Amino acid sequence: MFKRKDLSIDFLGIHLEHPFILSASPPTDELEMAINGLEAGWAGVILKTTSVEGTEVDLKYPMMSSFGTTSKRIVGLGNIDLISKYHIDEVEKRVKILKERFPEKLVGASIMGAKKEDWQTLVYRLKKAGVDLIECSFSCPQGSMGESPGRMLAQSVSATEKVTRWVKEAAGDTPVLIKITPQVTDIVEVAEAVKRGGADGITASNTIPSILGIDIYSFEPYPTVFGKSSYSGLSGNAIKPITLRTIAEIKKNVDIVVSGNGGAYSWRDAVEIMLVGASNVQFCTLPMHYGFRVIESLLSGLSHYLEEMNFSSPMDIVGKSLPRIIPNEELPEIEVKAHIDEDKCVGCELCYVSCRDGGHMAIELREDTRVPRINEDKCVGCAMCMQVCPVNAIHMVEKMDSKEHRFVRK
Amino acid sequence: MEKSLISHMMDEERAVMEAERCLFCYDAPCEKKCPAHLPISRFLFMVRSKDFVGATKLVRDAHAFINTAGYVCPEEMLCQTACTRSQIDSPVNIREVHRFLTDNFDVERYLSLPAMDKEEIAIIGGGPSGLSCAFELRKMGYKPVVFEESELGGIPVQEIFEERLPYGVIRKDTDFIVKNFVYEIKREKTTEIKPLLNKYKAVFIAIGLTKETELKIKGMELKGVYKARDLLRKIKRKENLPDLGERIGIIGGGNVALEIANTLKTLFPDREILIIYRRGLSDMKAFPEEIERAGRIGVNFYFQSIPEEIVGEGKVEGIKVSQTKLVKRDESGRRKPERIERSEFVIPLTSLITAIGQKIEEVFPEIEKERGVIKVNENLMTNIPGVFAGGDVINGGDTITRAVGDGKTAAKKIDEYLRRKKDV
Repeated sequence: MFKRKDLSIDFLGIHLEHPFILSASPPTDELEMAINGLEAGWAGVILKTTSVEGTEVDLKYPMMSSFGTTSKRIVGLGNIDLISKYHIDEVEKRVKILKERFPEKLVGASIMGAKKEDWQTLVYRLKKAGVDLIECSFSCPQGSMGESPGRMLAQSVSATEKVTRWVKEAAGDTPVLIKITPQVTDIVEVAEAVKRGGADGITASNTIPSILGIDIYSFEPYPTVFGKSSYSGLSGNAIKPITLRTIAEIKKNVDIVVSGNGGAYSWRDAVEIMLVGASNVQFCTLPMHYGFRVIESLLSGLSHYLEEMNFSSPMDIVGKSLPRIIPNEELPEIEVKAHIDEDKCVGCELCYVSCRDGGHMAIELREDTRVPRINEDKCVGCAMCMQVCPVNAIHMVEKMDSKEHRFVRK
Repeated sequence: MEKSLISHMMDEERAVMEAERCLFCYDAPCEKKCPAHLPISRFLFMVRSKDFVGATKLVRDAHAFINTAGYVCPEEMLCQTACTRSQIDSPVNIREVHRFLTDNFDVERYLSLPAMDKEEIAIIGGGPSGLSCAFELRKMGYKPVVFEESELGGIPVQEIFEERLPYGVIRKDTDFIVKNFVYEIKREKTTEIKPLLNKYKAVFIAIGLTKETELKIKGMELKGVYKARDLLRKIKRKENLPDLGERIGIIGGGNVALEIANTLKTLFPDREILIIYRRGLSDMKAFPEEIERAGRIGVNFYFQSIPEEIVGEGKVEGIKVSQTKLVKRDESGRRKPERIERSEFVIPLTSLITAIGQKIEEVFPEIEKERGVIKVNENLMTNIPGVFAGGDVINGGDTITRAVGDGKTAAKKIDEYLRRKKDV
């Protein structure tokens, strides 16, 4: 009944019907699930990381844990999962089946190897099966195989460059993405190594090593596997701010394509990830939480956002925010004051107590009403009050070029 | 029909989820609406992080009848009316979280009371107000002496329907207070106040309202006319009820009327229970939750109907009422009913229960009264220095939490009074 907006993009020469794909993760670890995901409307899948036959994959259960509040169960999701238990013999069959059934969709595969021969064998066999794209996991928090097990490959600049070169050498025309970790001292060095190695792009990024929590009564870390646990890979909405920073830093310093991954829980998050430079966005935790059906709202939201902003293609928003990310010392010094919208205020006085004990004691209570007042002489414009207001009744007013700019939380 | 007269029971997850809805307002408005000044925002913040013991300590300390209040405190007309969350969606279900705490956590083992080295104070009446006063006085080191001839607990223990407020719940409160907060219980009826002042430094009168107002119309002598609180007491004691028949009329629009109506409808779901009230729905003084429940379980209402006479030969056969129109508001803000001439009609009934108000028993002639209740000043002191009063006996019948609040205030005022006397 309604006209549908064209959301198609070109990603490393591959036509995608829209920018949202399923990442190398549990949702793509069974053929049937990958089929269901593509049928539900996802633009592509990257099959869960596979390895050469004979590689031992000892999965431990339970592997999932999460943190959040009682009303918002999953803010962050953690896993002690490993690469797929399916080896390349199975995955190459799946690539063929999926490509046959979904010629218009992106069918990618993620790989991990120990030595040059493994990496290159995996690439040759996937290419032969007709894969559209190869992603290399250099960043599984459980560590990489090969020279320094337990350590992530992408934590070594030289190893990153070397292995990238092996893979790209074998891949030829097939696009190669290197999936990196934000857990490094200098993300730019790693991105540069990927580029020098000849990869086509970077997947930024992977889960982040973490401990999801501890049972304070038994001292057991989560997820508890018979009383003990290991470091988990953290995903979910909690890591979005880290993903945004990681991508922005890469894109500001290295000329390379980025596939965004980590923390998108809505189309809005996905747009943010594209605004800092990602060309497409991979999802995992969101469909794991609510199912593949969430693609409907992702596409709807993105379409209406583009309409509203007058963009003809999702590609037009890629990197739009990058020029606005600058070093702290270059930020202008301006006069900012908080402003309370009296009609919206519900009178909880949280801004008052927050400013009193954590700001600059610049909010005052009034006798006749529970709507507090900003003392403009004391307000430095830190915007803490704006963060605590439960109904968005506070915004900041910036006075610059003798004009008033409003800074509103959305 | 609903299975239980007790509102939704929460488990741990639901209690935390509900507590997370609390905005944790500064200077929380809900707390000001609580007559017992429950530290609502503070206990909900502890529930958020699952410190249920800490939260239970806070509520246990604040309210002598905290278990009872968890079941029957009308939050919808007290704390919830000021909940800031209602401006966003709906108020926090404060009572349900508090009941989750008091039903599941016992903090008695943490008690640490000061030595009882202060004066003995006489408390007349062992209901919510009297025991609350004892509770607070004991915390300050006084020796509370409670005068009560019947079972401790007052109206909750004597009249509130078992299915709405289980007996064991009230006993949790009264046992806790008797065991830890009462110096002595005197099982005797008090008729004079002055002699008590020879032995006790101060007296707190909290005898409640024991007499029911009589309806003054023709036919009150007929068989089948009853008073609501007499019946409620019989039901609570599990005594045999008189045969009320198939169509039971109840006159009144307050909490007692709703309590007997809902109790009878629950006991006899197939009988007709009719509330006959001279004003309109919005003028009823009963708790909104109980009015809503009455509608839900099938109690019927005749609004704007004023009783003229009870009809019947030897026994009740019906009540003749006139219709009323509601004219300008009285001092309570409610519309006044005015009889419409020649509008009489007869409602056929098999029995009639009156629940039109209560009054103080004729005692303590030396204590000044006003409009059927004991007159007190802002310190809850009566006309006799050192004699204080609180609860239903000063307010004409209100909530348990208000009675508890009065007991709390009285204890504070008694303490101030005695300190002042010492200074002089």
